[in-house]
Amino acid sequence: MKNQKPETKRKKPEDKKRSASGGAKSKSSKPAVNGDFEPKIVGFLCNWCSYAGADKAGTSQVKYPPNVNVVKVMCSGRVDPQFVMKAFEKGADGVIILACHPGDCHYKEGNYKAAQRHRMLLKLLGQFGIEKERCRFDYVSAGEGDKFVKVIKDTVDTIREMGPMKKTKKSTSERTE
Amino acid sequence: MKTGVYFCNCGTNISDKIDSEKIREEILKLPGEIRFRTIDFMCSEDGKEALEKDLKENGMERAVITACSPRDHENTFMRVLSKAGLNPYLMQMVSVREQVAWVTEEREKATEKALRYTNAALKRLALQDPLEHKEIDICPDVLVIGAGPAGLKAALSIAESGRKVVIVEKTPVIGGMPVRYEELFPNMECGPCMLEPVLGDVLHGEHSGNIELLTISEVMDVVGSYGNFIVKIRRNPRYVDADKCIGCAECMTPCPVSAKNEFNYGLDERKAIYLPFAGALPNAPSIDNAICLRAKGRDCRLCKDACPVEDAIIYDDAESIIERNVGAILVAVGAGVYDCKKIPNLGYGSMPDVYTSSEFERILASNGPTEGEVKTAQGKRPKSVAIIHCAGSLDENHKEYCSGICCQYAFKFNHLVGKKLPGTKIYHFYKELSFPGKEEFTLYHHAKEDRNTAFVRYRDMKDLKVEKKGAKKAVTYKDASGKKGSAPADMLILCPAVVPAEGSGSLGNILEATHDKFGFFEELHGRMDSAQSKIKGIYLAGACQSPMDIQKAMSQGMAAAGYILSGLVAGRKLEIKPITAVVDADRCSGCRVCMSVCPYKAISYDTEKEVSSVNEVLCQGCGTCVAACPAGAVKGNHFTTDEIFAEIEGVLA
Ligand SMILES: Cc1cc2nc3c(=O)[nH]c(=O)nc-3n(C[C@H](O)[C@H](O)[C@H](O)COP(=O)(O)OP(=O)(O)OC[C@H]3O[C@@H](n4cnc5c(N)ncnc54)[C@H](O)[C@@H]3O)c2cc1C
Ligand code: FES
Repeated sequence: MKNQKPETKRKKPEDKKRSASGGAKSKSSKPAVNGDFEPKIVGFLCNWCSYAGADKAGTSQVKYPPNVNVVKVMCSGRVDPQFVMKAFEKGADGVIILACHPGDCHYKEGNYKAAQRHRMLLKLLGQFGIEKERCRFDYVSAGEGDKFVKVIKDTVDTIREMGPMKKTKKSTSERTE
Repeated sequence: MKTGVYFCNCGTNISDKIDSEKIREEILKLPGEIRFRTIDFMCSEDGKEALEKDLKENGMERAVITACSPRDHENTFMRVLSKAGLNPYLMQMVSVREQVAWVTEEREKATEKALRYTNAALKRLALQDPLEHKEIDICPDVLVIGAGPAGLKAALSIAESGRKVVIVEKTPVIGGMPVRYEELFPNMECGPCMLEPVLGDVLHGEHSGNIELLTISEVMDVVGSYGNFIVKIRRNPRYVDADKCIGCAECMTPCPVSAKNEFNYGLDERKAIYLPFAGALPNAPSIDNAICLRAKGRDCRLCKDACPVEDAIIYDDAESIIERNVGAILVAVGAGVYDCKKIPNLGYGSMPDVYTSSEFERILASNGPTEGEVKTAQGKRPKSVAIIHCAGSLDENHKEYCSGICCQYAFKFNHLVGKKLPGTKIYHFYKELSFPGKEEFTLYHHAKEDRNTAFVRYRDMKDLKVEKKGAKKAVTYKDASGKKGSAPADMLILCPAVVPAEGSGSLGNILEATHDKFGFFEELHGRMDSAQSKIKGIYLAGACQSPMDIQKAMSQGMAAAGYILSGLVAGRKLEIKPITAVVDADRCSGCRVCMSVCPYKAISYDTEKEVSSVNEVLCQGCGTCVAACPAGAVKGNHFTTDEIFAEIEGVLA
């Protein structure tokens, strides 16, 4: 159970130094704009597993990029698609939702609901022209500090590689409020 | 609104990586009356005092605590707020130690991130509502369903503490399964002797006045929630007044009709007025209306005529529906065994002298159908007995789990057969052997050392076949190493998988308690909270939650009693945490999506007003319904949509 594949599985960028040095090795033919780009990412973490997993990474003092800003909810089941749309509207380049592993949700099944909603959300984002890679869903348990770090690094790399959200694509909000 | 931002240096844990001066500078630029202060070790006694004093002296109305993880000290600081006269929910904690200082390489970046978090906390905090812990009155009485070892042990200890307990038992007797066993593993204690003191205490002990025992009864309906359940119970007539009856059994002899005795698995018959077995408690017979001639309109009075006590037999006894108010419910309905007809190669039901372990327990019992004599259908002493372990257990085609208790009773049988029929060959066919614990191995050791006992390990149930060879039976097998063979078996004892008790599905529906994938009652947490169900106020004990022996069933009973006694205290109110969902009736369209997503059955629907409402005792505050409500009519206290929007804006500013 603990090793569920993330929903949005991406090729791991090979070298993160590349971005710092401004080199463009993006697999698309996009121009090399991503060097100094610091993505803004909002992370919705459930209180019981994922937030605790983030704390675990903290107590192990493993360093990771500061781009993900955590917003705590009691359960991933609380993550309303509106939150994600709001984050994009307010300038996020990516969103990540972290939940307890299947079967481990403190409230039994909130994470199943969250996973379901995430699938719906990806369709909705598509309609707004937002790439689905910008909204990731994954599982992190309270003990998985290392996985938390990996997921964060991975997400930051991915979004960095994709570049900032295009301005025109951002205003999705009015309809959802 | 005066808001204080309190920044804990945490020695140098935080201040090393986060520049508090920079934060002060930026924070004080924000609109509103904001005060910023650093404190060393805020969680220390000095730190808490400094915080309290600062809040009071500066008339602060809300507080942001920029410190360690709320998982560490949120409660600590909420208490400080309360002491300072503030509502503790007007606080927002920012985890800058675990989630910023300790994990960010550069000081500048860490400071920026801490600033974003502080900003978000301030924005969110401005919208937060003061919340109150509510208190409700509770009923400290308890309902126990099932009068087996687990239920009775719990009932007794709850009664001993002075609480009222209602026990609902569906059969006419108490004691559960073990009162049917002559001897018990691991120490070969006499079953009835071991349990009788417990049963006696329930019936006539010092605290039996606190126990209301309802036999031949069942729970029909339950409404309400933790602290205040209303239970509807159907009490079927016994037709015998158990208080007046002296248990002489005179009534049974003249009774002209009989039926198979279900307590002996149909291996013998009993009358329409009957005691299931000698020594059954309560020691008063009951009349089975399904066969009694009076129920068929005949004016038979033979039992009443034989009864030496006036009015002990009540022909016009009738079913009654009674209601009880309780604060907690303990489910202790035990388990059943797997239907061995589903494993046809073992010959159960199609060949003589093939018994399940439960049947064999009765055959061994001196108050059983053969009065303890082990003989074949032809009345002969069996020269060989095969005991088939794991019949349906550890088997993907039947039940995947190990039933845990079978090995032990199988070696109990080994011992008893050896004692009753010295020289009889006993073959154990097993997939795995399991008897963990400090006492449990002894019976196995005896069996292993016994020259008349042989072991055959098999891999798959299909590698065994019970066959008739003339008048004799034999088990032909392929053992785990692939070797084929055959063992004579005048008698076979099957150890079926332990399965959920009949009717646990419908009982679960009544209680709204969930079952696991095998159909056993599901625990709140298998390791940490195994005596609680997922529904608050409904507790579990014994074999209804998993196969287990008497020791564990009794311990679970005690564990459940512990939860109940510490959670529900007479005179004390039940405190309800305010982080729950609340339905705004004006906005609710009555679509009931919230009900379908609630894992705690905490939402009900008012058909008259056509709106949903949340029971705050049951609600655990996950917020799943809040996110699901298409009308935005459900508010998640302390995690409202507006609060979270503000936080999102704050971190992105
Ligand atoms: C063949 C066999 C031999 C065993 N030998 C031993 C042994 O030697 N030593 C040992 O430690 N363990 C032994 N066990 C295990 C032992 O039987 C269980 O551990 C024990 O019965 C569990 O107790 P309980 O209270 O959970 O359930 P039970 O003993 O099954 O009691 C449950 C009670 O609930 C009642 N009930 C059921 N449904 C309802 C309902 N809907 N409403 C009201 N009442 C209901 C039942 O009538 C019963 O009285 C043996 C098991 C088997 C199958
Ligand atoms: S509590 Fe973690 S996903 Fe529900």
